Amino acid sequence: MSDYSDKELLTLFKDNEKRNYAFNLIVRKYQVKLYWHIRKIVIKHEDTDDILQNTFVKAWKGLDGFREDSKLYTWLYRIATNESLTFLKQQKTKYLMPLVDYENQLKESLESDEYFNGDEIQRRLQKAILDLPEKQRIVFNMKYFDEMKYDDMAKILKTSVGALKASYHHAVKKIENYFKED
Amino acid sequence: MKMKNFNKKLDKIKANSSNPFYVPDGYFEDFPTRIQDKIISENKEYSWIFKLFKYVKPQFALGFMIVAFTVIAYTTANFILSNRTNNIDSELFTRTIEVDPSEFTEQHFIDILLEDEKRFEEDKKEETDFYIHYLVDEDIDYGTLIDEL
Repeated sequence: MSDYSDKELLTLFKDNEKRNYAFNLIVRKYQVKLYWHIRKIVIKHEDTDDILQNTFVKAWKGLDGFREDSKLYTWLYRIATNESLTFLKQQKTKYLMPLVDYENQLKESLESDEYFNGDEIQRRLQKAILDLPEKQRIVFNMKYFDEMKYDDMAKILKTSVGALKASYHHAVKKIENYFKED
Repeated sequence: MKMKNFNKKLDKIKANSSNPFYVPDGYFEDFPTRIQDKIISENKEYSWIFKLFKYVKPQFALGFMIVAFTVIAYTTANFILSNRTNNIDSELFTRTIEVDPSEFTEQHFIDILLEDEKRFEEDKKEETDFYIHYLVDEDIDYGTLIDEL
């Protein structure tokens, strides 16, 4: 893992000769965090891998124009979130039949996913999370799993702290109801 | 109160269990190399397209200019020609005369009337020709026609 700060990495990236090396360090620094952020949204490893690649390719293309008034990791998270949401939208439009619900497919895939080995309670929790609307799901994942601060979440999702708190509160309530009903 | 209890339950689930998802072995070790390869291949593709575009850009510009010039010339010529060949019909003559009759002589009126009459006769001739052709095609003789009438 790289010991460079974001600022140092960006300075390194601006040097044409060290550009590739700097980007490699950026990938190494953020790949794990971004992978899990995306994986919690799209569930499947193969889809996560595609989205993570797209995220870094977009980052590579946009890094020249990156303004340092926001943090690098906030910017990367934003790209990853947008890419994941775009992916989900594409998947939903792919299945034109109204009865086919992409979230239900994901829930079913949890049963057979070779890269999921959670116990029963974790499976139930993941299914409850999949029942949430997309944005609420992202807020819940960022707060609950990534333990991210509301301020940082607000910068990534471009929304207010109050709205995020309300969203998280609703998400927890819905998950609680799911556990009661299930 | 209930909500607080559930939050505790959620904390307990998280504390008691590790990440239920996992990745293939060596995934994170290989990923930076894969992404680097992808970027290099995209750059190559991009630079190939960019180079081609750079090479054909003057030709494109020239082609576009020729097409644009042709369109403008054709439209202008069309406009000028259509203005030149525009026939003023007798109705327009009449209306113009109504506005300013002092500019028209008797000969103008005669010409217009003759023109109208000529057109009427042409129409009538066409109609007559049609009937004659019909009678010839159907092989109807004059006697049959009179009998029918």
